[in-house]
Amino acid sequence: MIAAIVAIAVVVMLVVAIPFVLPKQRLVLATTTSTQDSGLLDFILPDFERKHNCIVDVIAVGSGQAMELGKNGDADVLMVHSPASEKQFVQDGYGTSRTLVCYNQFVIVGAPSDPAGLSETHNATDAFTRICENGTLGNVVFVSRGDGSGTHTKEKALWAKAGLDVSTFSSDWYISAGQGMGAVLDITEQQMDADQQSNGYTIADEATYYTRKETGIIPNLDIVFSGDPLLFNQYSVIPVDPERWPHVNHTLASDFVEWITSEDIQEMIGNYTDAYGHKLFVPNAGPGVSLSMERQAAYVKNDVVARLEG
Amino acid sequence: MTDAIAYDVFQVTILSLYVSGSATILGSLIGVPLGAAIGLREFGGKGLLKTITYTMYGFPPVISGLFIYYMFSRAGPLGSFGILFTPTAMILAQTLLVIPLVAGVTITSVTEVDRNIKNTVLSLGASNRQATFTVIKEAWVGVVTAVMIGFGRAIAEVGAAYMVGGNIEGKTRVLTTAIMLETRMGHFEFAIGLGVVLLMVACGVFLFMRWLQERELL
Repeated sequence: MIAAIVAIAVVVMLVVAIPFVLPKQRLVLATTTSTQDSGLLDFILPDFERKHNCIVDVIAVGSGQAMELGKNGDADVLMVHSPASEKQFVQDGYGTSRTLVCYNQFVIVGAPSDPAGLSETHNATDAFTRICENGTLGNVVFVSRGDGSGTHTKEKALWAKAGLDVSTFSSDWYISAGQGMGAVLDITEQQMDADQQSNGYTIADEATYYTRKETGIIPNLDIVFSGDPLLFNQYSVIPVDPERWPHVNHTLASDFVEWITSEDIQEMIGNYTDAYGHKLFVPNAGPGVSLSMERQAAYVKNDVVARLEG
Repeated sequence: MTDAIAYDVFQVTILSLYVSGSATILGSLIGVPLGAAIGLREFGGKGLLKTITYTMYGFPPVISGLFIYYMFSRAGPLGSFGILFTPTAMILAQTLLVIPLVAGVTITSVTEVDRNIKNTVLSLGASNRQATFTVIKEAWVGVVTAVMIGFGRAIAEVGAAYMVGGNIEGKTRVLTTAIMLETRMGHFEFAIGLGVVLLMVACGVFLFMRWLQERELL
């Protein structure tokens, strides 16, 4: 009897498994969470799958983990947003090239009352300095991703740029959450001072911030600072080097790079709006050399103007 | 929540059942005999082996996932199988989590019926092997409980499934990784809805097993 049940179970398992063993070509795309969570990939990928008769397996993890997967040959192509580590990745021979795809910006979000007065500052380093000063005084709290993600890397770079040493920050005001962007926004939302006034700050990618704001999960968080070229958030694609990992689908990965930088898809990326009508990505396909600060500044400025007018 | 869910929840549910069901069956096929062997035999180091088994109750799913990842990553020793980011890798990782639970509960249940019955059967002229089977039969309710607990562990875990499955839509997305994705996207209501689906699946499986048990089919 038991043998019969086990046998039936095995047969059922095999039958159920059939739809998961598809004969089509597959492209493993390791990416950061924001490209998936914002809905961008669901919007553009069907076009690629149709044109190349393939299926794209999206593995959405942090940029750090995505690059680790690439290093180990477990992905064919990466779409990430951590420029310094990306350049290192290509330099170390793990990837064949780095191609810019699109950008948006990081924003500093906090309580609408803005107890640290960030809205009066003119650049991101001043804003961070104010958070640190007010944090040390016990007025405000900063919540850090603390997870080695692209956003965390950007945040650390900003503290360094402001001449501040994160390792000296007291955990009384500098919270290292070790979580994803959504969770960190939720934690920031919960921060209160002794008088029950919101006093949390964090840095977030626009896409995740808007999604969470619109769903009503973070009513007490507003964008208090944005628009500094330092807050530029560049997304790039990198095919994994087939010389190191002969099994990777480099042909399809190269097709992917060509496709995502093509005029049609760039336009599609630029036109993408989330469920609440926000335009979240600005296309800027090009070779992955670093943009000059002036050009970055121009991008962000145009972008901010476009948003205000939009 | 205003935007539609792009993937097929039914398929995700079926895959959950397939992955965790397979892991439970595999884990039980290993765990039950292992537990029976540890529980019924007397040998040096038995206490230590039991302690290790019980300690493994606390084995973190992510660590199980990382272990399978390192084994089956292209950079790992078994990378040439190419099973990373497939349901097979998820089944293996969950099997690792199920084995100690099933073995541990089996040890406890066979130990409880052990002594007297085994001695009686032996005195009635049964062989040692027959006596062992009699004990397992007597302990059957406990063994089935062990399997149910194993299934509960497998269907509820997310760390291993995410690590080695990758939450790929239509391929390795299961209920728990979908819940994680929806939570990350801020779709809390939908995430809770998926949680309810998961509980209903678990409920269905347990009712089915109880039904089998009551009719002495199991």
